[in-house]
Amino acid sequence: MDSPAANAAFAKQIDIKFPLLSDMNKKMLKEYGILKGYDVQNETYQWAQRANIVIDKNGIVQHIEEGDSAVDPNTAMSVCTDLHKKGAK
Amino acid sequence: MKRLLAAFVFLSVTTAFAAPISQTQKQELAKTSLKVGDTAPDFTLLSDQWKNVKLSDFKGKKNVFLAIYVLAFTGG
Repeated sequence: MDSPAANAAFAKQIDIKFPLLSDMNKKMLKEYGILKGYDVQNETYQWAQRANIVIDKNGIVQHIEEGDSAVDPNTAMSVCTDLHKKGAK
Repeated sequence: MKRLLAAFVFLSVTTAFAAPISQTQKQELAKTSLKVGDTAPDFTLLSDQWKNVKLSDFKGKKNVFLAIYVLAFTGG
């Protein structure tokens, strides 16, 4: 897992203005069903898949991409843009 | 001043090692049980500023783009 300290160094390096979060105990990943086990050399290790999830202001999931399709953020960005337009007064 | 489009939340999920693919038996691709239209489970996670960030902090304020990255910033 990337620790908050590692994330802080990365955020500073590329001047990120949004939070970089660390799920050190993998609790959130388990709750979201993203964490899965992989068997390697008779041991099971757990890590997550790439995913983009868009959640609207009401806390409702509006968009999910997983795996290879989540590498490109543009679709999720479009969903955000549409949500923003709908919410604009 | 231009308003932020959404709250970007960048969740790095990395492990300290990278297993050779040839030695990796993938049980199955991780697949979230969440569906569009579901209420997103609330979570509290530590940010790079060592502060708790809760999903519910954004409720009623901003849309959230949750990007989950694996093996993003470590050398592993």
